Amino acid sequence: MNGSVGIVLVSHSAELATGLGALLAQIGSDTVPVVAAGGTDDGRIGTSYELIAKAITKADQGAGVIVLPDLGSSVLTTRTVLDDHPRTDVTVVDAPFVEGAVAAVVTAAAGGDLDAVITAAKEARDVPKL
Amino acid sequence: MSPNSDTPTAPDSVRTQDAPQAEVTVTLPANLHARPAGKLAQAAARFDSTIRLEHGGRTINPTGVLAVMGLGATTGTTVRITADGADAEAAVRSLADILANAE
Repeated sequence: MNGSVGIVLVSHSAELATGLGALLAQIGSDTVPVVAAGGTDDGRIGTSYELIAKAITKADQGAGVIVLPDLGSSVLTTRTVLDDHPRTDVTVVDAPFVEGAVAAVVTAAAGGDLDAVITAAKEARDVPKL
Repeated sequence: MSPNSDTPTAPDSVRTQDAPQAEVTVTLPANLHARPAGKLAQAAARFDSTIRLEHGGRTINPTGVLAVMGLGATTGTTVRITADGADAEAAVRSLADILANAE
């Protein structure tokens, strides 16, 4: 069996992406490859084509990868990367950044396939917090 | 309320019926926060039975980690676990064990 579905966290802020990654490590499992791609190449607020592309490669264990962008240019830069390197098993998912990532990592840790992880992340939008 | 609702912790209060069903009520030793919710959801996904968690008048599917957190279950309150299916008893035991040992 292939490894776990991978998760890439794209944020304008390196701290936001790595911080969410640290949270996922606590809630999910260390068997799920979670890779943060936050900030610019030189550590400023922004997004980086190179960091996102490398993160996708690093998160890929053969079972597919979902990319979760926070907003704005995180979405646009991710789309550019995926347009340049189109793969059926790498998908950007429209989901709440934190909740979607938490739902995705738990589903991936439980052995869910790419479709199950995508669905879990998307459904996070509809789960009440209170 | 469950007939088991006065029983403090999980494993001893598992009740199986003629049909493959099981239920248990756990009094939480700690808030049902993110980490145990994650463990619970991963464990629930391993069973074929249909599992439900009940707390404060709400019922959710524990395979959804966000739904588990959304229960907002706090220390000292009770959570009722029910399962229907061939592995119902193993499912409720597993989930009750996680809840009873949450920190």
